[in-house]
Amino acid sequence: MKQLSAHVHVGIAACLIALFLIFIGIPKAVSSPSNVQNIVLAPTFWPYVLSGITGIIGLAMIIGGWHQPVTKVNDDESRPGALGWLRLGSLAVIMIVTMFALPRLGMVWTTMLVFLITALMFRTRHPRTAVLCAMLIPLALYLFFAHVAGVGIPQGNYVRLP
Amino acid sequence: MSLMDSLMAGLSLVSSFEAFAALFLGICIGVVGGAIPGLSATMAVALTLPFTFSMQPITGILLLLGVYKGGIFGGSRPAILIKTPGTPASSATILDGYPMAEQGEAGRALGMALWASCTADLVSNLALILFAGWLASFALKFGPPEFFALILFSLTIIAGVSGESLLRGALAAMMGLLLATVGLDLVYGTNRFTFGDPNMMGGLNFIAVLIGLFAIPEIIAMAWNPVAHLGQARQLGNSTVTFADYRRSFKSIIRGSLIGVFLGSIPGIGAAPSAFLSYSEARRNSPNKENFGKGEIEGVAASEAGNNGVAGATLIPLLALGVPGDVITAIIIGAFMVHGLQPGPMMFLLNVDIIYGLFIGLIVSSVFLLLIGSVAIKGFRFVADVPKRILMPAVLVLCIYGVFAVNNNIFDVGVMFVMGWLGYLMMCFRIPAAPFLIAFILGPLLEDNFRQAMLMSGSNPMILFRGPITWFFWLATVVTVFAITRSIFSKST
Repeated sequence: MKQLSAHVHVGIAACLIALFLIFIGIPKAVSSPSNVQNIVLAPTFWPYVLSGITGIIGLAMIIGGWHQPVTKVNDDESRPGALGWLRLGSLAVIMIVTMFALPRLGMVWTTMLVFLITALMFRTRHPRTAVLCAMLIPLALYLFFAHVAGVGIPQGNYVRLP
Repeated sequence: MSLMDSLMAGLSLVSSFEAFAALFLGICIGVVGGAIPGLSATMAVALTLPFTFSMQPITGILLLLGVYKGGIFGGSRPAILIKTPGTPASSATILDGYPMAEQGEAGRALGMALWASCTADLVSNLALILFAGWLASFALKFGPPEFFALILFSLTIIAGVSGESLLRGALAAMMGLLLATVGLDLVYGTNRFTFGDPNMMGGLNFIAVLIGLFAIPEIIAMAWNPVAHLGQARQLGNSTVTFADYRRSFKSIIRGSLIGVFLGSIPGIGAAPSAFLSYSEARRNSPNKENFGKGEIEGVAASEAGNNGVAGATLIPLLALGVPGDVITAIIIGAFMVHGLQPGPMMFLLNVDIIYGLFIGLIVSSVFLLLIGSVAIKGFRFVADVPKRILMPAVLVLCIYGVFAVNNNIFDVGVMFVMGWLGYLMMCFRIPAAPFLIAFILGPLLEDNFRQAMLMSGSNPMILFRGPITWFFWLATVVTVFAITRSIFSKST
């Protein structure tokens, strides 16, 4: 089977996105009043035009990339092994958990944990510095944003800071 | 208001300790940020942006301009010492800077980089002061059709020159334009891709999108491969730059500065092409052309003049037309917006004090850059030693605080994370992020001006070709598309 270049993959993705938007996304998620007199002023006009152009670009990429030689990428970069995928997955989980923890634990405590976990996940060679930074950086940012910039930093339900 | 009145108004605005301290601090942050490979001047400006929210507009914008200018210069240090450009703009500096470092002349190369940067910065600032006002007064004649044609031209050139592939750049621009349609419709007030969520009715937060696109992908990339990529830093050596070196390279510095000014004033081209063009012109005209690539000091001077010459000039379209000249000025436009300022020709009428305050600050920034740069040359080792695996978690925490601070809204943090993953995917598929961001900023302007033009003309599309200004931009757009397409075909054959 012919191995397709990345250009073709991106082109196929662009075409699929365009088709999704034209047939499902825009009709379902963009509301347009029924009394619009001219199509160019309709709220749906611009998204349809942009989706159409995206599809055309995607097609051009598929056609252009079809005869393009497949460039070999460095094996080290392309296949980092299961650990790389595990770290990526963990980072995604950290981000999702952060969204839930921010209003409940408070921004300072959440970011302290986020700092520490990510530093350890990145296999830092300076764990003590990481612990110190994990405590000091969120606190320093809290002091600046809450007391200098007057931003209402979420304090959470448990331990509140002055 | 006369020129003298405007100048005095600007001086009264900027002549405070805070304003100059912010500029000084900004250059320090930029020099350090630009010197850390993987952090880059762009990310340094993006991360500094949230700290400006509580400042006076002029102070905050000067801080960001300081980071911008410092960052562009800062990128030359790792380029010379470890063969890794701190910013893409410094790529050309490697060509002669690193061979000089190998020959034990890193100190001389860094000194020349500093002098060339400061000279080009000054030339660029003077060009800004001379041309921005003139261009703004001309732009006052623009109506919606002219602005539509101008923004379309800007998008074409941005999509075309910002990456290895025109189609990928264009795709990124389309994605940015599509994302910009999220929110309430400008004319009818109906929902577009809001899914009934009130957080999305005002559109996606610009700061969340930009930090997500530029900072978070670096953190995700570190999760993929956490091994730090810093190479072995070369010693500075004993040799330093002399006035004779500067005089010998002066022609190339001025030529490079002018190339930077010219390319910088065209939206989208940016500093890296300018540096390479300046370098190749210096090589073509130099009596020592055979030394280029082997450690020629004039090569370092030309590339640094080329990339720093852009820094002031990119502000010309930003201030005069409201169109960002490159990705960093696209971020700086966010600072203007946060402070309720809309860059463009009207700013020269409504906020002339801020404009002249910025001009004064920019002139002073060249002097500050010289002072800070001289000290920073010796301090590079400390910057190179910052462990990246501590730095990136710190960046992540900073991003969370900074994005939250814009609207006091946790939803924006979520937008930043999602945009971060999108940015990482784009990075993996080598789709450039810069056209995406610039299109995201220009998208509402493009649509707004198009629909206003249609409303003005009763939906007659001929209004988009109504006069010489619109014809000029349409012609420029066609020529640009033709030139880029031709260059692609000539490369592939």
